[in-house]
Amino acid sequence: MHSVHTLNVSQTDPEMSAVGALPSGARDVLPIEAAELRAVEDALRGTFSRYGYREVRTPVIEFAHHLERAESGGLDRAYRLFDESGRVLVLRPDMTIPVARVIATRFVDHPGPIRVAYTGPSFRAPQPGTPVASEVRNAGAELVGADGPEADAEIVLVLWEALRAAGLSEARIGIGDVSVTAAVLEGLRVPDQIRERLSRAAEARDFVAWRTEAAQFVCPEPQAELLAGLPAMRGHAEVLSRISDLVPSAGAACARMTRLLELLTQEGLHDAVLVDLGILRDWKYYSGLVIEAYASGAALPVAQGGRYDGLASRFGISRPAVGFSIELEPLHRAITQGSTSRDFAFGIVVVGGLDEQLALSARIRAAGITVIGLVAGDARGEALAEAEGWRFVGVPDSGGLRILDRVDGTSFVSARPEEDLSSRR
Amino acid sequence: MPLGALYPDAISLLELAGVDVSPLRDGSRKLIFTAPDGTVFITTRPSDVPTYVEAGSADIGIVGRDVINERHPDVYELLDLQFGACRMAYATKDGVDPTPEIIARLGVVRVATKYPAVAEAHFLATGRQVELVKVNGSVELGPLVGLADGIVDLVATGRTLRENGLVEREHIFDSSARLIANRVSHKLRAEEIDALTARLAQAVAAESR
Repeated sequence: MHSVHTLNVSQTDPEMSAVGALPSGARDVLPIEAAELRAVEDALRGTFSRYGYREVRTPVIEFAHHLERAESGGLDRAYRLFDESGRVLVLRPDMTIPVARVIATRFVDHPGPIRVAYTGPSFRAPQPGTPVASEVRNAGAELVGADGPEADAEIVLVLWEALRAAGLSEARIGIGDVSVTAAVLEGLRVPDQIRERLSRAAEARDFVAWRTEAAQFVCPEPQAELLAGLPAMRGHAEVLSRISDLVPSAGAACARMTRLLELLTQEGLHDAVLVDLGILRDWKYYSGLVIEAYASGAALPVAQGGRYDGLASRFGISRPAVGFSIELEPLHRAITQGSTSRDFAFGIVVVGGLDEQLALSARIRAAGITVIGLVAGDARGEALAEAEGWRFVGVPDSGGLRILDRVDGTSFVSARPEEDLSSRR
Repeated sequence: MPLGALYPDAISLLELAGVDVSPLRDGSRKLIFTAPDGTVFITTRPSDVPTYVEAGSADIGIVGRDVINERHPDVYELLDLQFGACRMAYATKDGVDPTPEIIARLGVVRVATKYPAVAEAHFLATGRQVELVKVNGSVELGPLVGLADGIVDLVATGRTLRENGLVEREHIFDSSARLIANRVSHKLRAEEIDALTARLAQAVAAESR
């Protein structure tokens, strides 16, 4: 049903209506979205736990100097505060570093490999002019203490299955490997200075600048072309065989990635993954695999991750680690994009459910059906069902309830609503 | 598609690359055009092109390097299309460059520009303080009417500067049209985007021959 709504603008004190404003980047989550986000999160967690990734939780506040150890310039936009003795604290600006800290400090005796998962918010001040939230809800998994392509493959698989379980129908996972890129640069003996500039171009996703910088380095023809086009290379295993043909010293890195592709193909992911050497984020942080997950309807990747074998050592223990982090809000947006109508929520507003119909309401709830109670004689039954999307409204009638089914507008009298409602599920 | 100076060259290059651009040539005032093959063209002012691409409203876009340097959008920059060549420059009134004197006496130079981020970065990188006056058009007026000491703007032939008695003092960077892609579209539509990029690269090479 379509009707034109006139928004009810409150005519109260203007000072009070300003209470609706929030700090930049912050927002409220209302019931429908909250329920959907919860369902997405539950689906992700379900997948993590089926692979034995056990949940850990870390505090929202951490010591700034602990995280600074591991973040490369990542504390830029963190919110800072002070504790009672003047030490600088931050609201955690991401989840990966605190989880790495937990693994390095609390799993010392664990034989490995360690599988952990997490969900929770992290906080970064929004940059002016960009519509980015200051509070980001993430869900992720980390596999620590396993360094082979088999571990990489499991992480890609868990990510893929988690996204599917959450309801994403169209997705693709891009995989790159910074060690392949590094091996090519090493094998061609590209000097550090040019490498530094190439790294900056790659991080800015600026292939034009990459080509300009690559042209500064003189080498024979097929190799020069390979270098110039390196970040634009993508496809499947053929990309890697071309690289190892032209730069034999990159063979080991290519073989490892080829093995990863074989494993993913065995898992049925051949068409879902795209080898893409343009996925080159922070070289100092990642040491091998880099992954990004894309969903149509989300302008940015819904998940990012990779292998960062050096990260744990910044907390004193050296352990290989691979993992990913999914951003919940863009994922939810991609899943629900295009859906305009909403199903009725299966529940009944019972007039008298707060007083005269207590026993009847209890019976309906015992049958697993939501009951929203009003006091007897309350005239707002249908308005409440309309506002909150409940399917049924019940009014006491000849010892039972007269029930309105809002799906088809019909009504019926029922002596045993717990049974009659269940049959309409 | 960037309306304005880059528009005709962008259409020609796309056509040379085998893209059906006929709907763009019907001279209508529509903002969105759909080609028979289903390609949708969105036309907008150049400074908004990265905004649409970044948000995924458009998969790819054509925009000047000047806009990219000003906005730093989170997009892939795939190809230098080599048309619309011009340079970002700092210019002041004819005669002796007053900038060093102004810096020495007043500590800060006042610059009118449509590119505040670019101008600020340039003066910061050269160790000078700057006070920016953001204007939306005819930047050349600034120094002439005492609004600013100099301007930072795009210079193509230099004719506008000359006719208004301004002289180019510092070269900031060279600009030309670029092909950019949304981060997600670049992967979800990888095959199509790679094919188009390759065809455009050939067209660029053919043009420059």
